[in-house]
Amino acid sequence: MTIKVGDEIPELVKHPTTRQLVQYAGAQGDFYEIHYDQAFAQSVGLPGVILHGLLKAGFLGQLVTDWLGDRGTLKSFEVSYRGIDQPGRLYTCRGRVTKVDGDQVELEVWGEDSTGNRTTVGTATLAMKG
Amino acid sequence: MTTTASIVDRLRARIGKDGPSTEATVEAGHLKRFVEAIGDPNARWASEAPPTFLVALASASAHLEEAEEYGKGWLNGGNRFEYFEPVKVGDRITATGRVADVYEKTGSSGSLLFIIFETDYVNQDGRSVARLRGTMIRR
Repeated sequence: MTIKVGDEIPELVKHPTTRQLVQYAGAQGDFYEIHYDQAFAQSVGLPGVILHGLLKAGFLGQLVTDWLGDRGTLKSFEVSYRGIDQPGRLYTCRGRVTKVDGDQVELEVWGEDSTGNRTTVGTATLAMKG
Repeated sequence: MTTTASIVDRLRARIGKDGPSTEATVEAGHLKRFVEAIGDPNARWASEAPPTFLVALASASAHLEEAEEYGKGWLNGGNRFEYFEPVKVGDRITATGRVADVYEKTGSSGSLLFIIFETDYVNQDGRSVARLRGTMIRR
């Protein structure tokens, strides 16, 4: 299958839970309390516990590697966190091809909250097998 | 009371200086817990690290105590990974981090302190496997 600019990556829908945040905190070793302690999260001005930025990056990484499979290698992956996301709400990962230059492919990826706001935006650069 | 200017100055003095290196082995059980937490069932991660795993081997952005005198909370602004070599189960990875930049920005909701961290990951053969650049924000 030829990859071309504008191709859409099949969406990945996540249903993050507080339990998942605790799991992720343990697996990554990031025990910052805003991810599992409601009272602490509110004390620093948040509406409640929020997803780790790097968990959202993990979701977007899954979006990319699911689509890429063994057709190539991930060379770079960049994610900016623009908004917070709370457990109990859908988080949808999407992306599309923005550049194809020989074996090099660039993707735009993003994560949307349940209202369609892009709370995470990023790019990925891939080297495709010849 | 510490002024915010002196906090920024002290942090800026650390720019470019390597922090202590940490070494860790990529373990299959750790990989499994990590991808289970993300909810990524790809069988490939039984032996290979997924794109963001290296942050679990060594702190991506040591929450600098000095910076905690500024504002009241941390926010993660973003992460950029560059990959040079695959990372597999059994690899022994040395991570070396440093502060790459520190600056303040004043926005509508007050002042923010940006700290850019860089971490280099090198494997047991001395080969660079990845570099991570992270933006942490105090507000």
